[in-house]
Amino acid sequence: MLLKDQVALVTGGSRGIGKAIVQALAREGAKVAFVYRGSQQAAEELEKEITAAGGTTKAWQADVSDPEAAKRVVGGVMADWGRVDILVNNAGVIRDGLFIRMDPENWKTVLNTNLDGTFYFCRAVAEQMALRQRSGRIINVSSVAADHVNAGQTNYAASKGAVNAFTRALAVELGSRSVTVNAVAPGFIETDMSEAVRNKAGDFIAKKLVPLRRLGKPEDIAGVVVFLAGPAGAYVTGQVITVDGGLSLGAVTA
Amino acid sequence: MPTEQEIFEKVRTTLVDALNVDDDEVKLQSRLRGDLNAESIDFLDIVFRLEKQFGVKIPREELFPESIFQGDPNFVTDGKVNEGGLKELQERMPFADLSDFRKDPRLEKMEDLFTVELIVNYLKKKLGG
Repeated sequence: MLLKDQVALVTGGSRGIGKAIVQALAREGAKVAFVYRGSQQAAEELEKEITAAGGTTKAWQADVSDPEAAKRVVGGVMADWGRVDILVNNAGVIRDGLFIRMDPENWKTVLNTNLDGTFYFCRAVAEQMALRQRSGRIINVSSVAADHVNAGQTNYAASKGAVNAFTRALAVELGSRSVTVNAVAPGFIETDMSEAVRNKAGDFIAKKLVPLRRLGKPEDIAGVVVFLAGPAGAYVTGQVITVDGGLSLGAVTA
Repeated sequence: MPTEQEIFEKVRTTLVDALNVDDDEVKLQSRLRGDLNAESIDFLDIVFRLEKQFGVKIPREELFPESIFQGDPNFVTDGKVNEGGLKELQERMPFADLSDFRKDPRLEKMEDLFTVELIVNYLKKKLGG
């Protein structure tokens, strides 16, 4: 086990990519706290599953876009387990729509969750990791949409591009305290979030646009998160690692 | 109340931990940036460690008011801290000896005020000495 007795905190952990990350970190021996907003049943099931497999986990209900939520959750994790070794900012939302008609509320919701939520959680662990522990791994889940954009995603692309820039800037600041900060940028992954697009064009994307000829699975992302959180990732910081089966290479298969 | 020597020794331990320097590099007159190579985040780290080491609360910008003059023409003229700025500085840092700085008050020289001795003097006042 690569992460024996380490303490991890994952936002957006009850479903999709976040769930696979929680499972993978727990499998590697980490104690995993995870945040969910609405999916209480899914969160409880995941808790049971991990506990039954001999792991340690705890679900926290919170909305990451609430500035107070991160303080409360991180305070709780500290009270439970005394440290935070790994933070995975995974919680994210989409509110797709063409820009000419974009409701400012949809802009705000996406930025508040994807970008501000990442800021709040990083801010809540930074002193603990950098000054008290002098070690830590922060992993932000971004998206290939930061650089390879689809129509209707100005808000989402802006939020993820900002997460990438934030990741690099924070890596510079915390490097001298052995805290690494990286991002993982998934392509098309089979989750609830990508369902609408997959139903419309999933086959076309997989067969024509992805060199590896399949859509990604949440586990494909979780594996890279484990790498960044574990001993093999110790010397990697400030990077955005694309995990998209080659989609962003831009090739159209003939 | 601890003696000046006791305060100095604890400050030295703090700086050795925070800055990864050797014991004998830390002298009373050492400048944190110029001599001990402290960077911005090191100042946070030093304050954090001093709070733990001495059991005191050190409000932000009280010990190292690094950025009080940023772009304020009332305090800085032509890149030099002016009379208003010097007065402000003395009020903010009653524990600091500004006599050398007054002779060459270029803004970029302000960081030379941040010495080991400054920390010791600050703590002496703070601990009621």
